[in-house]
Amino acid sequence: MKVSIDWLREYIDFDCSLDTLADGLTMAGLEVEEVIKLSKEDFTRAGGSGTIDDIVFDSKVTPNRGDWLSMIGVAREAGPVVGGRVKMPNVKLDGSEPTSSDLIKIRIDDPDLCGRYVGIVVRNVEIKESPGWLKDRVIAAGMRPINNVVDITNFVMLELGQPLHAFDYNLLNDAQIVVRRAKPGETITSIDGNERRLEPDMLVIADSNRPVAIAGVMGGEDSEISRQTQDILIESANFNSVSIRRTSKRLGLVTESSYRFERGVDPSIAPLAAMRAAQLIHDLASGDVAKGIVDARPVPVEPLEIKVRPERVNLVLGTSITAENMARFLNSIDIETHLEDGILISQVPTFRPDITREIDMAEEVGRVYGYDKLDTTLPDVTLQGKDSPEGLFRNKIRRSLMACGAQEVLTHSMVEVKLAEIAGNANKAVSIRNPLSEELNSMRTMLAPNLLQVVARNQAYGTVNVSVFETGKVYFQGGSGRPDETLSVAGAMVGDLWRSNWSLPAEALQVDFFTCKGAVESLLGALNISGANYIPVEHPMLHPTRAAKVLVGDREIGILGEVVPAVSDALDVRGRAYIYELDFRALMELAPEMVIYQEPARYPALYRHMAVVVADDVKYAQLVELVIRSGKGLVEAVDMLDVYKGEQVGAGRRSLTLSVVFRSREKTLTDDEVNAVLGEIKEALAQKAGASFR
Amino acid sequence: MSGKDELVGIRTAALGKVQAAESSAQLDEIDTQYLGRKGELTLQLRRIGSLSQDERKDFGQSVNDIKAELSEAIAQRRQALDAGESKAKLAAEAVDVTLPGRFYQTGRPHILIETIEKIKRIFIGLGYEFVETPEIEDYKYNFEALNYPPEHPAMDEQMSFYINDDVLLRTHTTAYQHRVMPYRKPPMRVATIGKTYRYENVDATHGHTFHQVDCFAIDHDISLTDLKGTIQQFAVEMFGMDVNVRFRPDFFPFVEPGAEFAVTCFLCKGEGCGVCKGSGWLELGGAGLIHPNILEKAGIDSEEYTGFAFGFGIERMPMLEHGIKDLRLFMENDLRFLRQL
Ligand SMILES: [Zn+2]
Repeated sequence: MKVSIDWLREYIDFDCSLDTLADGLTMAGLEVEEVIKLSKEDFTRAGGSGTIDDIVFDSKVTPNRGDWLSMIGVAREAGPVVGGRVKMPNVKLDGSEPTSSDLIKIRIDDPDLCGRYVGIVVRNVEIKESPGWLKDRVIAAGMRPINNVVDITNFVMLELGQPLHAFDYNLLNDAQIVVRRAKPGETITSIDGNERRLEPDMLVIADSNRPVAIAGVMGGEDSEISRQTQDILIESANFNSVSIRRTSKRLGLVTESSYRFERGVDPSIAPLAAMRAAQLIHDLASGDVAKGIVDARPVPVEPLEIKVRPERVNLVLGTSITAENMARFLNSIDIETHLEDGILISQVPTFRPDITREIDMAEEVGRVYGYDKLDTTLPDVTLQGKDSPEGLFRNKIRRSLMACGAQEVLTHSMVEVKLAEIAGNANKAVSIRNPLSEELNSMRTMLAPNLLQVVARNQAYGTVNVSVFETGKVYFQGGSGRPDETLSVAGAMVGDLWRSNWSLPAEALQVDFFTCKGAVESLLGALNISGANYIPVEHPMLHPTRAAKVLVGDREIGILGEVVPAVSDALDVRGRAYIYELDFRALMELAPEMVIYQEPARYPALYRHMAVVVADDVKYAQLVELVIRSGKGLVEAVDMLDVYKGEQVGAGRRSLTLSVVFRSREKTLTDDEVNAVLGEIKEALAQKAGASFR
Repeated sequence: MSGKDELVGIRTAALGKVQAAESSAQLDEIDTQYLGRKGELTLQLRRIGSLSQDERKDFGQSVNDIKAELSEAIAQRRQALDAGESKAKLAAEAVDVTLPGRFYQTGRPHILIETIEKIKRIFIGLGYEFVETPEIEDYKYNFEALNYPPEHPAMDEQMSFYINDDVLLRTHTTAYQHRVMPYRKPPMRVATIGKTYRYENVDATHGHTFHQVDCFAIDHDISLTDLKGTIQQFAVEMFGMDVNVRFRPDFFPFVEPGAEFAVTCFLCKGEGCGVCKGSGWLELGGAGLIHPNILEKAGIDSEEYTGFAFGFGIERMPMLEHGIKDLRLFMENDLRFLRQL
């Protein structure tokens, strides 16, 4: 709402500074967002008089306060700020015969959508340019002057908040107005020149045989005021907010009128607005105003009486305002209030439909009292706060992955459906029905594709060594039709592990499958999850022979591996990239809630190295399992020292150098004991894995 | 020459050699020459048998004195020589301390998540329990249960992404309130934090995705001043300085009375600066007393209990704190940006 200060002074007297006024309105909830200075030249440029300059408060009207979309509404709110009361415009109307009711018949067929329709006929008008002062008002409010009658209807709407419409009376068939829902197939050409198809739940203003206006939204072209217009019908009506909003949305047509009706227009102001417009048309367009008004009013609206307990108001506000002061505050904003047996009895005027119960009155008292005068207190009771289990667990994961050198990132959940296709989840992805763009038409099903996009973007920016991770939600179509969402944790890495490596061999720094696996192993270790197995897997994002799924017991908790070139290409990732993605909830369920301390071994360990030569298809994990199983309970750990392939071991075979740690929890082992067990281990490896030893 | 004179000669020669010795090996030789089993001083003692009873005691004492003196001199000289030798050895091991260190790649937390964690810690300290809540939300929880009248213009500020007619991406974290309230008993203090979505075109200060925190408290006699005090307590801990809270009436269908809250600008301490546009205040979010309709819908007696609720966006805080001008930087994940914060 653009509030001209020059104009505002017609409705309220004040001598405070404009800063004080702006602050006061803002602190009352009518936020003055911008103070605009309009010079004489600005008015001239916009077609105004060029004789005044003005200050305009551009203020933000909250959607519950339709009454602030008028000069009198703003003046009323300014009352307590400046210590004055709003002055309503003086309307004196000396109509002549015939009466309006002789000239126009008004019928409301759908009173649920139109509670009141006031009409006045003004004859023999002279359509011409508005006088300068009128144009200046319209310009200051941010509108464009058109002609005297249109400008007057806009002026009254801005002044009183009542949208008006002027019809060319002689173009209305049978001098009749019917307020009704549109009939199937009806169309209207609105005054913006567009033909619009009307739907049966849209309210229209019709004459005896066709719609002449889309009620509360826009008039029709073929009953519009023109230079030839002699007689006019002024419409001042009250329409249902929801109906106007629906129609306006459906037609994609938002007007000053529909904007006000959506937010609620005072049904009591309709006659005054009609008469105010008629008077101005008489004065400025030399029209003859017909005597009386036609007031079709199937749904009268009366002020609402609300009883308010002052102690309740003080309880919710945390104040100690006297009942007398509360009454004074309410009266200052035209909510007529008196005190009876310690209870406030208020008549809520019809321009305040937002007030329906005691709590709303408490807010009004608080607003006038001033929110800035409220104390600060704290609730009495102390309660024990806590994080969600997921929140706590997430921080464990984050700490572990950051310690592995990965940068935490945060990516969008709305993504291109292409990413779900890449992840092999196209049929499970949740689609957005009204996406902002095709790049945002789907909810992510995995984090890893997002992370690869992060990798690609950073590579494009010249950052070639990237290791990132994210913990966040992924979304799937649910069985019941309602989408599911769950938490996931994923990482991606490419390039070198360390960015500066002047004294280390280059190949040692390059991330590879095992760097990626190491991150997963570190994470599982940090979460005290043991016994993970890594099994080769096929996954649409991963290299066919460098991919694994992670199993703990029977439970599959995720995947890891090298990104297959087709996916890297599709996401513009350069070089060999590696990803892992794990099920957050599975990790949470597998991680022991409590870890019991184990005393470190008291006896020394003995170490034995052995170079085991096996066929290529024998997996390291099988060897470890055999070593442990045949180790008589004395094998504490097996470490991997080296893998060798080449002439010395022959084609199709490889040599793995293992370091076996022997330790007993009961005594110090002797060399002889360990050598005996080692012999049995080798025997088992030879028999069960076809191993030979170098 | 008397035995005594001879002793003086040995002493002088030995101490001279000790002072002249240039290595530990030379000192070892001197040690052997004079103090060894066949050393000169040891041999002197053997002469003791040829002396008179009177002379014996005196002579023996003199030899032992000289032996002790020489031992001490050797030890001191040895210490001096050792220090020099190890110094030379260390000198030969010099490194160029200006060469770069071997780089440890450390991961950093994302600045938004770090901010979220900080906010959580503060509210947990104030007695709030954080709960996990869905982002894909039912229309009824996002709007109807929050007292939005059907097709109200208030929804224009909450343009939504729809999955279908009944399901959308939540436009505010407040959507969880009715998922929690009916299932708990007052007193309660609950909070949630996470992603929210609005149908908005993206620019430096607008995004279709942003993060919000929402907290509410329900108890006997909860008042607007309790709300103001709680927000102040939060702001003091968040910004680490004395701040005031300013309430201004505002409208949200789920609270009544409703307020927008601002806190003293922590950059200029309320003096007025470019960031707070000279006002000294930073507008942070929306707040108010929980609308009685909402309490009643949750089966809570709105006469007996009152409550407050408030929420605010997360992004604004690190933007203000670190001078970040473009919202998009948070989710773009340029490591050159993330690694600075
Ligand atoms: Zn400032």
